Amino acid sequence: MQPDDIKSNILTTTLESAVNWGRKHSLWPMPFGTACCGIEFMAVLAARTDIARFGAEAIRFSPRQSDLLIVAGRISIKMMPVLIRIYEQMPEPKWVIAMGACASTGGVFDTYSVIQGVDKFIPVDVYVPGCPPRPEGVVESLIKLQKLVETEKFSDYSTTRGK
Amino acid sequence: MLLPKIITKVHDKFPSATLDTTQFAGEDIIHIQGSYNLDVLKLFRDNGFNFLADITAIDNLTLGGFERFAVVYHLLSHETAERVTIKAYVPEDQPELPSAESLWKTADWQEREIYDLFGISFKGHPNLIRIMNPDDFQGHPLRKDYPRLGRKERDDFPVVKRGINKEAAQ
Amino acid sequence: MVQGADQPMDTERMVLNFGPQHPSTHGTLRIIMELEGETVIKGTPEIGYLHSGFEKLGEYLDYNQYITITDRMNYLSPLCNNVAYALTAEKLMGLEVSKRTEYIRVLMCELSRIADHILNVGMLAVDLGALTAFLYGFRLREDIYDLFEIATGTRLTTSYTLVGGLMRDIPDKFDEAVIKVLDNVDVVARDIETLLNKNRIWQDRTKDIGIISKEDAISYGLSGPMARASGIDWDIRVQEPYSRYEEFDFDVAIALNGDVFDRYLVRMEEMRQSVKICRQALDKMPAGDVMVDPDLGFSLPPKDEVYNSIEGLIYHFEITMRNRGMTPPIGEAYVATESPNGELGFYIVSDGGRVPYRVRTRPPSLMNYSIFPKLIEGHMLSDAPAIIGSTNVIAGELDR
Repeated sequence: MQPDDIKSNILTTTLESAVNWGRKHSLWPMPFGTACCGIEFMAVLAARTDIARFGAEAIRFSPRQSDLLIVAGRISIKMMPVLIRIYEQMPEPKWVIAMGACASTGGVFDTYSVIQGVDKFIPVDVYVPGCPPRPEGVVESLIKLQKLVETEKFSDYSTTRGK
Repeated sequence: MLLPKIITKVHDKFPSATLDTTQFAGEDIIHIQGSYNLDVLKLFRDNGFNFLADITAIDNLTLGGFERFAVVYHLLSHETAERVTIKAYVPEDQPELPSAESLWKTADWQEREIYDLFGISFKGHPNLIRIMNPDDFQGHPLRKDYPRLGRKERDDFPVVKRGINKEAAQ
Repeated sequence: MVQGADQPMDTERMVLNFGPQHPSTHGTLRIIMELEGETVIKGTPEIGYLHSGFEKLGEYLDYNQYITITDRMNYLSPLCNNVAYALTAEKLMGLEVSKRTEYIRVLMCELSRIADHILNVGMLAVDLGALTAFLYGFRLREDIYDLFEIATGTRLTTSYTLVGGLMRDIPDKFDEAVIKVLDNVDVVARDIETLLNKNRIWQDRTKDIGIISKEDAISYGLSGPMARASGIDWDIRVQEPYSRYEEFDFDVAIALNGDVFDRYLVRMEEMRQSVKICRQALDKMPAGDVMVDPDLGFSLPPKDEVYNSIEGLIYHFEITMRNRGMTPPIGEAYVATESPNGELGFYIVSDGGRVPYRVRTRPPSLMNYSIFPKLIEGHMLSDAPAIIGSTNVIAGELDR
């Protein structure tokens, strides 16, 4: 190998940005689709707004295999314990998108049985407005999340390890 | 037309069952005593009203009526495409009436729903437990005296914190 | 030969928790299965995971406000819900809507029916491992979404009807756009049928699975495609026509075996019939207003008047204020409509106030799903997705 080859074939970066780059382009979503937003999420997966263009098409229905929880739809008081369990089962690092008005705030359902926003009980990173949001909105939220993933630091993880 | 004949039959067979017969917007509504519901429903089923379209209940707290609760049966005849509404009244202090599960299987889940949301129980139902709300839910939300926003059920969950210390790093 | 391969395996009974978060349960269904090997001895569905208090909410929202809530009930075909609710409220108030309104409602309902069935067939195929049918179908569904967007301004939660009419008229040249999509329905339907109908795996997995007899269908209160696949000749559009369905010429699809395959066939045929109805509705579309006479006090004035004249603004307030507005007489009404899932009925009780005293939905999904424990008994675990898929349970409507 010539010295010139080495110059043009080696890239230096920090481990952190290399890992983050990998992570952000291969988010594995776990769609927690309960209601109307679940149907719109299907549209996000289907041909027209193909989410595979952003590297997030590997839909995993098992929380243990995914790092992105997409809460799509209203969460009832009967469902909330399930959602909490699923969130806790996901391995770190993990992110959450609250898709639509119901997941973000309860939406039009201000009643006894609907949780008024999942962020009351689990941490949410990106909120998508709309009832239900258009597929483009979900894609936008994914791009926003990718930017967030880009800025993650290893030190963030180490501070709570083992505590 | 099946309906007029059956109504006469109900009057003949169970004279004390019928409280009133009314009409609104072209619909016939028969008001009956709750305890007679099985007899009346059976009579209707055997005379052509073969399909139980819907069971629901009404809390007559502010509307007024013969009793506090009315369990409403919507019957349909596949033969003549007639529909009839039967309202069986149940008192507040003993909200219980016979189950229609033996006549139509569809009554199973719908009576459970009424039990869950109104607190009306059905004698002879095979599995009368809550269906919509969690098992530990208190109260019956579709009763008029139950607040729409509930009694803090929706705020009563553990809060999960982030596993990683993002806030501290910022 | 492996020893004992022809004998059933000696297994002990096991309880499997299926859902509520499982890919083939379409969101929020949960089934507790008792298995012996892979055979289901008993399946107990647990529902209510999407219970959102629709009926309680109905007692606090006025008649037009509640239409937005009905969208979120059966979210595969929201327009059918809008129409069913509006019809009930109109019956209660004794309103007669214009012929044009009724024709547009029919057109929109039938488009929803196509969109609903195509997605249902697609999801059933996905659950059984055939992704292509879903992708084909969803392309068509997107086209229908576009039509809804042109007419109503939104894709899914349309809120298109008002009590006494429609939110707005269909735009010019809408019919051209619709015909383009309708032409495509036949193509897509043929594509899907070519993929599935004679597919050995598809037939093995759907034929003789989940058979419903005629008696059971009536006893369990089934309606719609599920009842028709069991040989019950009952279509509310024909037997109790509403919204001028009697003026349209179409056939009712019926099958006799009552298994998953037949339910799929009925749905495919209903789509073709819906295309027929849509074409007739477009051909015969009458002219006229889409709202009832404003003097009756049921319709909001045009936005142009509200913003530019004091009378319009006052009138708008009169309609929407808490203590004014439309009030029906004391009474009750039940209207049954043929939604893609079956008999979708609304039952409204009024105490003469601005908001209904009680709103009840007769959800076809609840009745259609209640037969599930009987259907799964004795089948293999892997048949559960096929049976759930063919019942087309919509959790929003099931739990309300």
